[in-house]
Amino acid sequence: MGDELVALGGAFLAAGVLGRFGRQIGLPTIPLFMVAGILLGPHTPGVVLVENPADLDLVAALGLVLLLFYLGLEFTVDDLTGGGRRLLAAGGIYLLLNIGGGLAFGVALGWGSREALVIAGAVGISSSAIVTKLLIDLRRLANPETRLILGIIVIEDLFLALYLAILQPVLDDEPSVVDGFLSFGKAFAFLLAFATLARWGAGIVGRLVATPDDELLTICFVGLAVLAAGFAEELGVSDAIGAFMAGLVLAQSPVADRIGRLVHPLRDAFGAVFFFAFGLTIDPGDVAAVSGPIAIATVITVVLCFVAGLLGARLYGFGRNAAANVSSTILARGEFSLILASLAATAGLDDRVGPFIAGYVLVLALGGPVVASRSRAIARMIPESLLKTRGSRAPGEPSAA
Amino acid sequence: MTDVSEQNLPGIGRSYQVPGIDGTRVVVVVHNTGRRDLYAYSDPEAEPVVVSFNDDQARRLGAVLGGAYFKPTIVSEIEAAIGSLLIDWVTLRDDSPGAGRSIAELEIRRRTRMTVVAIMRDDDTLLAPEPGTVLQPGDRLVVVGRQEDLSGFLRHVVG
Repeated sequence: MGDELVALGGAFLAAGVLGRFGRQIGLPTIPLFMVAGILLGPHTPGVVLVENPADLDLVAALGLVLLLFYLGLEFTVDDLTGGGRRLLAAGGIYLLLNIGGGLAFGVALGWGSREALVIAGAVGISSSAIVTKLLIDLRRLANPETRLILGIIVIEDLFLALYLAILQPVLDDEPSVVDGFLSFGKAFAFLLAFATLARWGAGIVGRLVATPDDELLTICFVGLAVLAAGFAEELGVSDAIGAFMAGLVLAQSPVADRIGRLVHPLRDAFGAVFFFAFGLTIDPGDVAAVSGPIAIATVITVVLCFVAGLLGARLYGFGRNAAANVSSTILARGEFSLILASLAATAGLDDRVGPFIAGYVLVLALGGPVVASRSRAIARMIPESLLKTRGSRAPGEPSAA
Repeated sequence: MTDVSEQNLPGIGRSYQVPGIDGTRVVVVVHNTGRRDLYAYSDPEAEPVVVSFNDDQARRLGAVLGGAYFKPTIVSEIEAAIGSLLIDWVTLRDDSPGAGRSIAELEIRRRTRMTVVAIMRDDDTLLAPEPGTVLQPGDRLVVVGRQEDLSGFLRHVVG
């Protein structure tokens, strides 16, 4: 027991200290938590804090559950529909290009079709956490294009949920087509049951957990999130989507705001262990071995994000600066790609997928913010003719919200 | 009424845009965490000046902007009437020498040459209080007089 506590405490502390150093020079925390895991894991020389990554499994799983639970809790349909058709179009274009490009790339790699499907998601979905942090730190919250960026993020989040739901049955590698359809059916039924609960049963669930007491509220919603994740996993749907749906149901309850406030520190702490635990499984040598694919994927992502950003900016009639801001901000990859890598590892996919995603995330989580902070320089490289600017840009987009 | 346009920022909070005079504008971002960012644009093309506040600081700023923090409305009314004289307002504490005693008892006018022109107590304003009025802890006294007499008044009544 002592060993395990030392390992867990060390994981928290290492992630925290490295994250702090990174924060001082403006680096996002998520990739650094992973790096802390790599450095203290069995694959690198020096201190080996955790010999067997499986020791942290349960705590890391809790991190995953809380990450997805929070995502579901924060998700509201209003955010999706409030932006109007233009936003849906911009988000759709982004997804089509990036997921499509990721899938094509994954297929071209030839590691297998299940591997290609995981890579499509890992390459295609931006990091909500890093993008949001960037917008705050770069002081762009009042810019007109920020609503578009956040809208794309919301659409990506929704896509992620649907994608996770269909991914797990695929990963399970059913022996026959009938079994495959059966597990799809189960996943679908599970989603439907939860969506129904979110729509009509939220009141009952809300009454179950709603208490003015913060202590009991915390215990209740953690229980609900973990239980939903466990049931989902048992049904073969993936714990991640179960936790997401639990969050979605509680988002409709009157205590949603309080839960959001209470779950935040829990998510941060256990989420860090999740990224750390993933890092433990990564051998830097394996990452180096797939540096070619990482480089190609990075180039593809940069190009597709810029195309998607330009098209989005055109839809909104934005100028060059705004277009460059959109493109460079949504470039960041992080937590979702790592979640997918961890799912791939659990499902026993090709060993190269984990190191590939780890290296890819490292490049774009650390490089993305650097590019985003220099978007003015990038803006000057965009030919005006691509945007059809109509005089000066509109100062702020008033909304009917 | 000035139009404030409001926008939802998913995952962050809400933003409120208020136009200023001369085409300038201010955007206030209220984060879900309670933090507030104030973006001020002197011209639409320029980079904004950004200031961040925590919840408490933001409330104070709001009160100052709303004219409710330092200068009670009654003060500006009196100020308009008395011209060059000093006008100030003080709050009595539980341990102030003046708390629990009447204006007459304290001989405020004779001993300090200042005049208490109003007492703000809870939500009421007692204009031109009678000499018999007993001061209470928490009372905000609006006083008029000469600058050089203020410190004597503070010593005598507020402590």
